[in-house]
Amino acid sequence: MHRDESTLIPQTGPTTARRDALPAWLLLAPFLAAFGLFFFVPALETFWLSLTESSLTRTNAFVGLDNYHTLLNDPSFWDSVGNTFYFALLTVIPLCALGLLMAMLVDRFTRVQGWLQGAFFLPFVLPISVMTLIADWMLQPSSGVVNHVLGGERAWLADPHWALPAVAIGTIWWTVGFNVLLFLAGLRNIPAELYEAAALDGARGFTLFRTITWPALRPVVTTAVILQLIASLKVFGQTYILTSGGPFNTTRVALHYMYETAFTQSDAGYAAAIAMAFVAIVVMLSLVQAWIVKWLARRDA
Amino acid sequence: MARRGFPRAAALLATLFLVLAGGSAPARAQVEVRMWTLLSGGDGARMRALVDDFNASQRDVRVVSTTLRWGEPFYTKLITASVVGAGPDVATVHLSRIVNLAGGGVLRPIAPAELASVGLRGRDYLPRQWSKAQYEGRTYAVPLDVHPLVLYYNKTLAGQAGLLDAAGNLKPIDGVAALTAAFRTATERTGRRGLTMESSQSSYAIWRLWLAMLVQQNVTIIANGRFTYGPAGAATLAHISEWFTRGYAQAGLDYPASTSQFMGGNAAFMLNGVWEVPELVRATKAGTLGFEYGIVPLPKMYANASTWADSHAFALPANSGHEPSPAKVQAILRFVAYVSQHSLGWAQGGHIPAYAPVAESPAAKSLMPNALYAQAANDAVYDPDGWYMGAAGPLEAIASKFLPAALYGYMTPAQAVHRFETEAARLVRKRPPRY
Repeated sequence: MHRDESTLIPQTGPTTARRDALPAWLLLAPFLAAFGLFFFVPALETFWLSLTESSLTRTNAFVGLDNYHTLLNDPSFWDSVGNTFYFALLTVIPLCALGLLMAMLVDRFTRVQGWLQGAFFLPFVLPISVMTLIADWMLQPSSGVVNHVLGGERAWLADPHWALPAVAIGTIWWTVGFNVLLFLAGLRNIPAELYEAAALDGARGFTLFRTITWPALRPVVTTAVILQLIASLKVFGQTYILTSGGPFNTTRVALHYMYETAFTQSDAGYAAAIAMAFVAIVVMLSLVQAWIVKWLARRDA
Repeated sequence: MARRGFPRAAALLATLFLVLAGGSAPARAQVEVRMWTLLSGGDGARMRALVDDFNASQRDVRVVSTTLRWGEPFYTKLITASVVGAGPDVATVHLSRIVNLAGGGVLRPIAPAELASVGLRGRDYLPRQWSKAQYEGRTYAVPLDVHPLVLYYNKTLAGQAGLLDAAGNLKPIDGVAALTAAFRTATERTGRRGLTMESSQSSYAIWRLWLAMLVQQNVTIIANGRFTYGPAGAATLAHISEWFTRGYAQAGLDYPASTSQFMGGNAAFMLNGVWEVPELVRATKAGTLGFEYGIVPLPKMYANASTWADSHAFALPANSGHEPSPAKVQAILRFVAYVSQHSLGWAQGGHIPAYAPVAESPAAKSLMPNALYAQAANDAVYDPDGWYMGAAGPLEAIASKFLPAALYGYMTPAQAVHRFETEAARLVRKRPPRY
């Protein structure tokens, strides 16, 4: 490598950029094609659909913002959004806290590391149908192991107050393994010397966690919370299979309401409006979260 | 290498098959009729037997039947398949869905001449059922049966409660107070439940009973895009929920749990459709039923004796772009006519045949226990007309979610009816869709 070359590049910037443009586009092309074909065009199509009165197979009249107007005054939609956020509340923080705790256990007990990691990660491998089957068996009112241990005959999944928490607990068990991996990677990136130096200064136990582990893991935690929030807001399969939105719609989440509107009521236009509105809500929420993270970072600096 | 050989092997096999099939086939090509049904369990077996008998009775038409899951999944598949031209040749549907399916462009009308060509005439069907098969002056389905809501009773338990006459039959029950009293007496005197019925979340049974009770009060449900039952809606649901909250019936039982409560002799009465009849007949024959049972039509609780009912019927999907040829239509209708004429076998499923020559035949009239409730066909009330109405339709789905909530004490009857109305309002206001 010539030493001058590195200083040459900034000077000939524009021409190099033009020369690089073609290969760059070529390299990007497969991604762009897939993105456009399977995300961007369908998203545009969905937006267009939301402005029409449509059934599953036929697009009828253009109705402008009528669907959105109905949506604003539709208590069922807001109920389902509320259920979705309740589910997120029940899952995001426990999943992150539990994931961190389990990752620290794996990190600490080096001798059984493989076993622990395997045990924690195994449920994540299960397909959703298997996971829901197991949860359903465990939660059976008269024959389930949960009631066997706790006593009583509560029908967890048919109980308006317990159905969503029960689904949330099942979901935590199912997906916590992913967060364990995430946090474990973060923990292993923290240099051991930091702990040694702190130990020499007399730091012990929780002080080590507060002053070294937590600050070093901060970016990982932020990522985990964002990923988890998105995953939790997208919940559909668990409630659809375990409770089909019942009892009395207390577990009908936003995507389930969209599904019902599209497939039970054959109202694809309104379903598309639900989808777009929900996307808007999630995007807004992500922006708020990003702003909070930035604000926290600024405050600490 | 092996892969490349595959098409050749397939071609060889196909040729072999053609040769073999050609050897036994008649000179005229056999017309294959593909049918989708939503009939499972005993009904499914009886329909399969009818299909097999028909296929064996002649060589021109061969019916191939596919059973799909009952309810909303069936109708979603039928609607989407039919409008893109990929539906079956014939399907079993509920008469309560005709407005929805015919109005939505899912079904193909059947001309009187086409019916006449296989010897079918509208006046040979029970008038109420035939009129439910019409939409805007055209025939869209051929009715097969009527299956009303009836009241089953356990003669041992009802006898202990003093509810039977000298002949061992249920004394007439007149009025909702009398029915409530019967459930109460049975509960108190037998120590078992007075009543059992399906009432778990998302069960349609409560909607059916509620509808029948409103119609008995001469109350209309829906008119001009509005719910018109007024205070009767909540009051009627309160009557039903009272049976559960007072312990005459156990809330939250799903269908199998509710029927096994009755079959196990743990409830004096059961409110259910006639489709449970074959199970009782079978258990009686096998000697596993520990009691004698009786059936009466839904008691007259208010001004008239209306009862909720629905009907299975045969309909031809529109299959736009792939409309059936006249020969195919003829073949389909030959099968439909065969089933109509042989619907006595179908009646063993508890159903009342819709084909009058069968329904009024001495054999049908003496068929037990069907004869006990045959008159219910005259009092049958279907879901009101509306694109959103009908078996497992969008409105029933909403009703099934909220009405049972009143039986659990999770909502008051007024709240449950209000939530049902609020969520259904969007459907009721909406223009009927073309699918």
